Amino acid sequence: MLPVYLCEDDERIREAERIWLEKQILIENFDMEIVLCTGRPEELLERLSYEQRQGVYFLDVELKGASMDGFQLGEEIRKMDAGGFLIYVTAFQDLAFETFRYHLEALDYICKKDPGQMYAGLSQCLKVIAERVGREKGGQQEYFTVKTLDIVRHIPLGEILYFATSERTHRIELRAMQERLDFIGSMSKLEERLKPHFVRVHRAYLVRKDQIAGIERKSREIVLKNGERCPFSRSMRKYLESLVCPKEG
Amino acid sequence: MTFAQITAANVWSLTVNTVFLLWMSGILLGRIPRCGIRHAAGCILAGTCRILLTASSGAACYLAGVLRWKYGIGMIAWQYFVIAGSLLFLKILYRRSFRDCFLCAVMVEILCTYGQLLSELYIQLYGKNFYNIAVAEDRREYLFWMMVVSPACLLLCGFGIDRSGMGKTYRKWLEQEKVHKGIFLLLVFFPMVYDLLEPVIYGKELKAAVLLIPLSLLLVIHLICVYVGRDWRQKEYILAQQASLRQQTIYIEKMERMQSELRRFRHDFQNMMAGIYLQAKEGDLEAVQNFIQEMTGDFDRQVGGQIQLMNQLENIRVMAVKSLLLEKLACMQQEGMSCELEVYNPFESCRMNGTDLCRCLGILVDNAMDEVRGQKGGRIHLLISVRNGCITFVIKNTLFGTVDFKQLGRAGYTTKGSGHGTGLDSYRKILERYDSVFSFTAIQDGCFVQELKIKES
Repeated sequence: MLPVYLCEDDERIREAERIWLEKQILIENFDMEIVLCTGRPEELLERLSYEQRQGVYFLDVELKGASMDGFQLGEEIRKMDAGGFLIYVTAFQDLAFETFRYHLEALDYICKKDPGQMYAGLSQCLKVIAERVGREKGGQQEYFTVKTLDIVRHIPLGEILYFATSERTHRIELRAMQERLDFIGSMSKLEERLKPHFVRVHRAYLVRKDQIAGIERKSREIVLKNGERCPFSRSMRKYLESLVCPKEG
Repeated sequence: MTFAQITAANVWSLTVNTVFLLWMSGILLGRIPRCGIRHAAGCILAGTCRILLTASSGAACYLAGVLRWKYGIGMIAWQYFVIAGSLLFLKILYRRSFRDCFLCAVMVEILCTYGQLLSELYIQLYGKNFYNIAVAEDRREYLFWMMVVSPACLLLCGFGIDRSGMGKTYRKWLEQEKVHKGIFLLLVFFPMVYDLLEPVIYGKELKAAVLLIPLSLLLVIHLICVYVGRDWRQKEYILAQQASLRQQTIYIEKMERMQSELRRFRHDFQNMMAGIYLQAKEGDLEAVQNFIQEMTGDFDRQVGGQIQLMNQLENIRVMAVKSLLLEKLACMQQEGMSCELEVYNPFESCRMNGTDLCRCLGILVDNAMDEVRGQKGGRIHLLISVRNGCITFVIKNTLFGTVDFKQLGRAGYTTKGSGHGTGLDSYRKILERYDSVFSFTAIQDGCFVQELKIKES
């Protein structure tokens, strides 16, 4: 059962949110329960310190009289519950939701100025969370996790095409089907970490095995399924031939 | 003296010269870019080759009498040979254009000549005209001159250049696309002019006055650099003022638009209030609730958006970026594009060069605008975030076409027809110059996302 937490400084709105959420959980039979309704972020964090489950958090941005604002609270929650669902319910005019989404992976932003809009937003969020949780239970996808300065990205391992060294010191370029990024790392450490799925075809290239469509002996290049090419070293030729097809060439 | 003896003596002076070249190029061209172990190994190899090849060639030329050719032709050719060696070494070291490396090599050569003349003057004043190396005392004096006095003179020259702030002026000068022709020619012909003029003016005897040639040349170059630098600064100042004026114009336009919208809102508000008063009197609570919702929604639509945009812009304290974004936002508004800007924390400064940052952001925003232009329902979202010691720029736009990821960033690849396709290639090339910059490109939920992250601490 997913624990639901509410942190809102306005008691009336907090109560309205709680009643609506409880009603929705009951009607839709969601596997969730409201475990805490508070106006103090410290109380929420204290509760989280001994709660080990993934949770759902409905947070206000401007918490009057509190030691931290909603953004800081989100950051603290993320430290304890990396997979939790953060939803901001606020009337904050200048809310930079993309910033919240970017740094805190917030799920949504609900405007509480219009009660109808707020209730619709709350119900929609519960539905999305229930769907996601159901999907996650259905099949676990493997991810490649990489930290670039202040952000941690999770890229599905199956979508990665290859890693290549860059001209810049210790810089590795990651090429995925719909993503491209660079990060600081070491090719040999990556090779060790991703060994069963990836092969070091060249000093500068680590390629996902199931993305290799064929090899071209003459130009000593690997052709990937999306048409991209990358070089391979002479010593890898036999291995690659056996990997793709003995008659390939 | 034998070939080996001369080479050995040359190796020492060339090692000193190479260290001096590294020091001076550091002042004139800036820090050597760190490009990995292979680059470092290449630099060490190139430096060693430069020392050994120049030392042995110098010895060979000396023995063959090349340096004593008539009218100083041999010496001139030799100086150009040394400059060519320095140029190649700097090219490997800095990976900058041949022009920049050549100019730096000549500058260092002038400084070396100056240092050498200073050390020769020392001999003139305190030493002998001829040293017999077979005699222990002479040998000691000669070695003292070669190993202590000469490097000390170079050190003195280098220190003078370092303290004079010439490096900064020189770098500014190099940053310009067109280098001042006068200085360029002066530098190109310096070895020739110097070697031809020196015997004509001063004869064979070395005097303190001989120092005047390179000194005056350095002064002329410095003056021209200062003049060009000032000119450049003035142009930059004018550009900044123009940008500030443009900003103010856009700001005033926005304020005027807001004012007229407020006036309209006030008018609507008064009409609505008159209606709601009657409904409230009749006790129609539902109508009153609807009114409050409608009014707040109306306010957000008419004025709230503008206020929010201004609040976000206020957080951008880097004028060049603010100016660029204001222009782009005005452009988007003119073309009817929907755009949002988020600057959650004040963006005060950036380690990346301002021009480079603006070029990068300009490329990314232009690409987003090109994609959304003329499309219904297209949106652009710009985000600037300053957190945890780094600055993040995210440019996100609705994607209507398809993006070929394998071609993206290659020179000439475009989805917009001929004349395009250079932006992302230039963007990539700019980023390659920075160690603390990270990029991210992705297609996420039907949007094209470009991210630029700069490490600040």
